[in-house]
Amino acid sequence: MKKGLQWKLILTLGVTALSIFLFFPPKDKIKLGLDLKGGIHLVLQVMTDDAVTIETDQEIARLQEQLKKKNITFKTMVKGDAGKFTIQGLGLDQEAGLKGVLDESFQEWDYSFLGDTISLQLKDPTVRYLKEQAVTQALETIRNRVDVMGVSEPMIQRQGMAGDRIVVELPGIEDPDRVKSIIKTTAILEWKLVRAGPAPDEATLLASTGGTAPEDAQVVKGDPNREPGFYLLDRVATVSGKDLRTVRRSVDEWNSPAVSFSLDPEGGRRFEKATGENIGKQIAIVLDNRVISAPRVESVIPAATGGIIRGRFTAEEAEDLVVVLKAGSLPAGIRYLEERTIGPSLGADSVRQGLFSFFLAIISVMAFMIIYYRMSGINAIVALILNIVILFGALAYFRAALTLPGIAGIILSVGMAVDANVLIFERIKEEKELGKGILNSIATGFARAFSAIFDSNLTTIISAVFLFQFGTGPIRGYATTLIIGLTANMFTAVFVSRLIFDLTVPKTARKLSI
Amino acid sequence: MRLFKTTSIRFMKYKYVALGITILIILAGALNIVFGKGLKLGVDFGEGTLIRVMFKAPVSVGDIRNLLGEVGLGNSIIQEAGKEGREFQIRTMEVISTKEGPELESHEKQANAVISALRGDDGQTERAAGQMDLNGVDRRTLAALLETQFPGQGEGLADKIIGRRTTTGIYSEFAQLSEAGVGPDVVSFLQGKTYLGKLTILSRETVGPQVGKDLRSRATRAIIWSLIGMLVYIAFRFRLANGVAAIFTLTQDVLITLTVYSFTNREINLPIIAGLLTIVGFSINDTIVIFDRIRENQKNLRKMPLEEVMNLSLNQMLSRTFITSGTVLLTVLALFFFGGKVINDFAFVMLVGTIEGVYSTVYLSCPFVLFWQNLFKPTKGSRR
Repeated sequence: MKKGLQWKLILTLGVTALSIFLFFPPKDKIKLGLDLKGGIHLVLQVMTDDAVTIETDQEIARLQEQLKKKNITFKTMVKGDAGKFTIQGLGLDQEAGLKGVLDESFQEWDYSFLGDTISLQLKDPTVRYLKEQAVTQALETIRNRVDVMGVSEPMIQRQGMAGDRIVVELPGIEDPDRVKSIIKTTAILEWKLVRAGPAPDEATLLASTGGTAPEDAQVVKGDPNREPGFYLLDRVATVSGKDLRTVRRSVDEWNSPAVSFSLDPEGGRRFEKATGENIGKQIAIVLDNRVISAPRVESVIPAATGGIIRGRFTAEEAEDLVVVLKAGSLPAGIRYLEERTIGPSLGADSVRQGLFSFFLAIISVMAFMIIYYRMSGINAIVALILNIVILFGALAYFRAALTLPGIAGIILSVGMAVDANVLIFERIKEEKELGKGILNSIATGFARAFSAIFDSNLTTIISAVFLFQFGTGPIRGYATTLIIGLTANMFTAVFVSRLIFDLTVPKTARKLSI
Repeated sequence: MRLFKTTSIRFMKYKYVALGITILIILAGALNIVFGKGLKLGVDFGEGTLIRVMFKAPVSVGDIRNLLGEVGLGNSIIQEAGKEGREFQIRTMEVISTKEGPELESHEKQANAVISALRGDDGQTERAAGQMDLNGVDRRTLAALLETQFPGQGEGLADKIIGRRTTTGIYSEFAQLSEAGVGPDVVSFLQGKTYLGKLTILSRETVGPQVGKDLRSRATRAIIWSLIGMLVYIAFRFRLANGVAAIFTLTQDVLITLTVYSFTNREINLPIIAGLLTIVGFSINDTIVIFDRIRENQKNLRKMPLEEVMNLSLNQMLSRTFITSGTVLLTVLALFFFGGKVINDFAFVMLVGTIEGVYSTVYLSCPFVLFWQNLFKPTKGSRR
């Protein structure tokens, strides 16, 4: 054997062994996409404006407090769009004082005076920062919730040009509705003192206060399944989800599912004070702006003991509430843009039939190659199998999931691999017919066919690279298998196929089975 | 063995005829798409909900339409997906569009309406009696139920039962439970505690308007860039004429395939896009292989006019064209007949594209190069 051939042989065997090692055992190493495996695919949008609105609310409250301290008077503050508000009816000669406050502790705001009205606008970098924060936090929270649910191999990623979209892929989920509601719950939990209610409608509720809610109170609806009706609550929460230290599923004294909680020292003290001052009154537990329970305070709840949330829960609802409370609340609302639930049996069916037809196709192509090219056909088959082996090895290495469009990519690369061999073999036949010797025909056949194979493979690779770069999920899946398959093709169809000829055709050959 | 001995078909003689046929087909497609049935954008690129359901017993499309008609969704697209009349694909059409806000929720409500309409009052009495739907229950709940009667075996039994359900999709009768490998005691226990719901939801996909729009624009952008990439590379390796001809050829490959597609009842979904991309891949491959041979022959036969060189090259490559397309066709046929419902649309597109691709390689790319060369040939003229 020639020395050059030895190295070529070692390289080929090495690549084969490495690829097999990479994807073996295939059941564990080759990840299947959701379209083949079943699961949930969700695209959510974080309502980043929410975060800016919350910030605006807090800043308005902070400004009011500071102006009060400095005795700066004004008629009212009016909230505009997210990140905007105006101060109206500023007292005479107080412009300088207000400017001082704004310049000193409200540097994130641009302001402009127009008579006694001042417009404030949150600066762009701050708005961007807040929105960015909201998405990052939402991502983190969703990740936590998914972790607490114990889903294996979840995929949670940011996406979209504005960067406010999150893609969640959860393979093999059986109960999609539950997962969706867990992910979507904002989970802002607050304890607020009840001033009035429950009443059947808003008018009855507000009859005693003259038809409108007082400045420091708000009307909150009860959860229709738990505490129907309308409540008038304090605007400021006594304690909130942020003060929680532990939450756990438990049962109340009638053995119904409930959630027990304990508070951190600071929240505990506030809770103790509030319960002490309001014995006999109701305190509402508000989840995402819906009253889920409004128990009457019977005695002081000491800081260290914590308490229990009773909301006429089913066992599952109680458990889900624990999940969302543990994982923390979302900083902004979430909206679903897309959701796909592929049941496991559809996926299983696809895989089974897909594999069957794929193998059927490969085998019939191989049979054709042997019938048509005889011994040389075996050569092509080896190259083809090696191509597929390398492809799966690379898929396992890059941890790319195999999807339906991915299979399309494999079909194209297998097709082009066969084509490469056909090109070479047909060329060898042509050269033979011109009366060239066997070895010469083989050498010229490969040399002449090479430019066509190279150009066509490279053109397709170029287009696949662009598709990968600019395309979304499914198109990327297609591009991935195609790029890998065609790169492998250049190696197997040209290099390996030639090597097999060199190894098997003797120098003195007078005939070639092709 | 050779498919064709030396042939000398004068392919280029028929270039105008071919051009006429191409234009006719595309025109028919354009007319059909614009004025006729049109292309139906699937749930991936439009918006709405796609539900795949499997029934316990065969039903007809008419039955389903009647059920949906009762809740005002009778105009949904209903397609039979399996062969036994038990599997259907339902796409709701009535799109509720509000300006901003919960569009997806409205689609979801619609999907729920479809499902509850299909279910009707099935299982109501059983549920009232505390039984659960064996065709809908999840592994955990089933395991818990079985654990009450068969301590320590709940998990294993549930695995078997759900596993069998995953393979077949639905249980039609309790007798099938024994095929899952559980004992008669388990079967009779479940008969008392569960019932078999009349349908199961295989998949459910809802796409909101923003995402549909986004997907469309991103797919378009990706395709335009990849076309530019190919054009530049081919122009660099061959001539500009070849680059333009290749792009022209694959464009018409896609157009003809879409034309054929527009006459079927199928929708444009992501698998179709994958299929079209694959056709483009094969088309560009074929075109380049021919161009390569023309390039080579031109070097050796400098005196021969381009048209003759093309004829010669096409004849030389005839065996290869048919063998390669034939093997691809074999693959695609296997996918089409045995690939299952998810792959079927993809395979259909490939089937059309592969057959059409043979024709386009011979009759589009080459004549186009000729036309282009004639149009922009230097005034001196190298042709006769």
